[in-house]
Amino acid sequence: MSAITAEPPASTGQAHHPEVGFFHKYIWTYDHKMIGIQYLWTALFFLLVGGGLALLVRYQLAWPNTPVPLIGQFLPATVASDGAIIPGGYNMLVTMHATLMVFFVVMPLLIGTFGNFLIPLQIGAGDMAFPLLNELSYWLYVVSGFLILAAFFAPGGAPGTGWTAYAPLSAEAKYNGTQMGQSLWGIAIFVNGLSSIAGATNYITTVVNMRAPGMTMFRMPLTVWSLFITAILLVLAVPVLSAAAAMLFCDLNMGTSFFKPAGGGQPLLWQHLFWFFGHPEVYILILPAMGLVSEIIAVFARKPIFGYKAMVYAMIAIGFLGFIVWGHHMFVSGMNLTLSATFSVSTMFIAVPSAIKTFNWMGTVWRGSIEFTTAMCFALAFVTMFVIGGLSGIFMASTPVDLFVHHTYFIVAHFHYVIFGGSILAIFGALYFWFPKMFGCMLNETLGKVHFFLTFIFFNLAFFPMHNLGLGGMMRRIADPTVYEHLRQLQPLNQISTIGAMGLGFTTFIFLGNIIITLWNRKSHPAPDNPWHANTLEWTVPSPPGHGNFPVTPTVYHGPYEYSVPGLDKDYLPQTEPAPAHVKLEAH
Amino acid sequence: MSTAVLNHDQPAGHASAPPATAKFGMIMFLASEAMLFAGLIGGYIVLRLSMPQWPLPLEDGRVVHLPWLLTGINTVFLVTSSFTLHFAEVQVKKGKSGLPLIFVTILLGSLFVGIQCYEWWHLHHEGLWFNSGGVYGSSFFLMTGFHGVHVLVGVLLILWCFLRQVFTRCFTPAHHVALENISLYWHFVDVVWLFLFAIVYLWH
Repeated sequence: MSAITAEPPASTGQAHHPEVGFFHKYIWTYDHKMIGIQYLWTALFFLLVGGGLALLVRYQLAWPNTPVPLIGQFLPATVASDGAIIPGGYNMLVTMHATLMVFFVVMPLLIGTFGNFLIPLQIGAGDMAFPLLNELSYWLYVVSGFLILAAFFAPGGAPGTGWTAYAPLSAEAKYNGTQMGQSLWGIAIFVNGLSSIAGATNYITTVVNMRAPGMTMFRMPLTVWSLFITAILLVLAVPVLSAAAAMLFCDLNMGTSFFKPAGGGQPLLWQHLFWFFGHPEVYILILPAMGLVSEIIAVFARKPIFGYKAMVYAMIAIGFLGFIVWGHHMFVSGMNLTLSATFSVSTMFIAVPSAIKTFNWMGTVWRGSIEFTTAMCFALAFVTMFVIGGLSGIFMASTPVDLFVHHTYFIVAHFHYVIFGGSILAIFGALYFWFPKMFGCMLNETLGKVHFFLTFIFFNLAFFPMHNLGLGGMMRRIADPTVYEHLRQLQPLNQISTIGAMGLGFTTFIFLGNIIITLWNRKSHPAPDNPWHANTLEWTVPSPPGHGNFPVTPTVYHGPYEYSVPGLDKDYLPQTEPAPAHVKLEAH
Repeated sequence: MSTAVLNHDQPAGHASAPPATAKFGMIMFLASEAMLFAGLIGGYIVLRLSMPQWPLPLEDGRVVHLPWLLTGINTVFLVTSSFTLHFAEVQVKKGKSGLPLIFVTILLGSLFVGIQCYEWWHLHHEGLWFNSGGVYGSSFFLMTGFHGVHVLVGVLLILWCFLRQVFTRCFTPAHHVALENISLYWHFVDVVWLFLFAIVYLWH
């Protein structure tokens, strides 16, 4: 350990802030670490809500039109009648599940929680560039959360137009039946967008301007790189959705006709604007997960990340390509065939940087001395599940195949393999990995392993059958598959999928239980400064770090992935420690 | 690099970002704003190019034309205000108060908002509104509305600068971050207007 870490900063940190009360510590705080934790709890709450909605959806698909056990009679009249979910209510559940999971769970967890917590710590800064803006971003997220939940209580109920809210269904109250619900959706997306933009502006500025001495761009951990690129995508993509949401709101409430053919408007314009945002959004949801996983894999393989610069350039390429492929969501919308072929080719190009990343992860674990901690298990599961989700993506990139599988459960299987099998698994892994640094105590590894294996099994049980369902012809967004002759024989697959989903729901409580038990007994499992023997800067300060993070501004001497360097007496070399003269580092 | 590393010697959370960092943050925010207007303008161009005639007639067959001459004069006011704010900044850098030029900027900005309001009222009187004239009315009012709100926010921000300078003389040649960033924002709003004016009023 270097001299920098020798002195605990708690005393110096607290000395400047003896007066910080409950309100300024937990509610309105300027400390990026606490803001990250605020995001964590709020997003976990939304994870439970969104997951509950998903279970209702799955229940209806497995046993259509039967009363939902236990909670059926508590469902509002817009969703269920006599405890059984009605078709309109089914649409609302699907819409709200997707909207909550994308905007209120995965984005806040990846970008809000880990972005806030890790960026300043990993680049050696005391806080974000704009602490006030940071807290404002969190509270805007909370406000947007209230707005979206309020849609359930609107006259006519929540919007049932899918998270994509395709016009003209979404743009005309007489079609969607819930002017206020759909308007609240639009406002919530707008406010959530403001929150994202505020956060992203802050991240970019922090990464560019606040790095510690010696922390060059190519010495930054891949986590920071991924969040940096994600923030750029957010700044450029989210405002376009905001503009579209404003148009949608005006169409609903001010009588404008942006998406209404009667007044010269174009429903397709909504699709273009939405997917111009929507496709970068896909990478907004996966890039930070890739960064987190890269970190975990390198630490637990005890090896330098294979091809660090290739990883960075691959992420930049994914970020760039993400902006020129949105048309592949619209192959069945009546697109010019030449344009469709162009989008098809540009989409397939994304397979190249994605494959670079996958091979580099494999190269990193190859012949490493792997420690199968819970975090590592989740990270390895991320890589495998991401490969499945990525490969099914290439099916859809090809227009002729897409024409067949579009609007089927094959698509649902694909994006759940990417967003659950990718992002959520990475989030779980990252929580096990950084929990000690966040809260100063270690999560229980045994419960963690149980959580991991059950999640992995139930996840595949829930989502793999959807591939078969989709190829068997099951359409998306149908409330009752049994009314279709050709789908009746597939009904057992739907039931298997639902059992898997219920298992996933149950498993989440093991995870939450683990968190609660650990925090309850936090004194009995105190986390050391560097429990995983990792190199990045956050592990050089106590767990949890004091206010202002670093007692003395750290100096960085080399890259973050110097593991098992020949000639050293330990298998890691923190970024704050210069390499001894006789040791030659691989690069930078 | 490392222009602003907080540590325990500085009270974190109460320190404001150094000028270069604040300016960089503002530029990132403006990039985001540019994409907001790009979305609106892109949508407008798509809608307009698919129309056989433009401007679209109202429901009763009348065609309402935009008052391009009045708005052209208004554009001159807005562009001038960008220059006055810029020179106010130059004055502050030379150690002067810059107050007269900031005041002129506020006047010109308010004048722009006022004339836009009059134009909205006038067009509404003629029968063109959000809900009439199809996408012609829709796009005109949404785009100028979004821009108008930005100008209004800008005027309020400059007013805030003005009052701070009047009462505290807080802008010194070395340190006038707020004025610098608000000025950047104001120039941005001005440039967006030039695009809007060109494609909404002048494109026939």
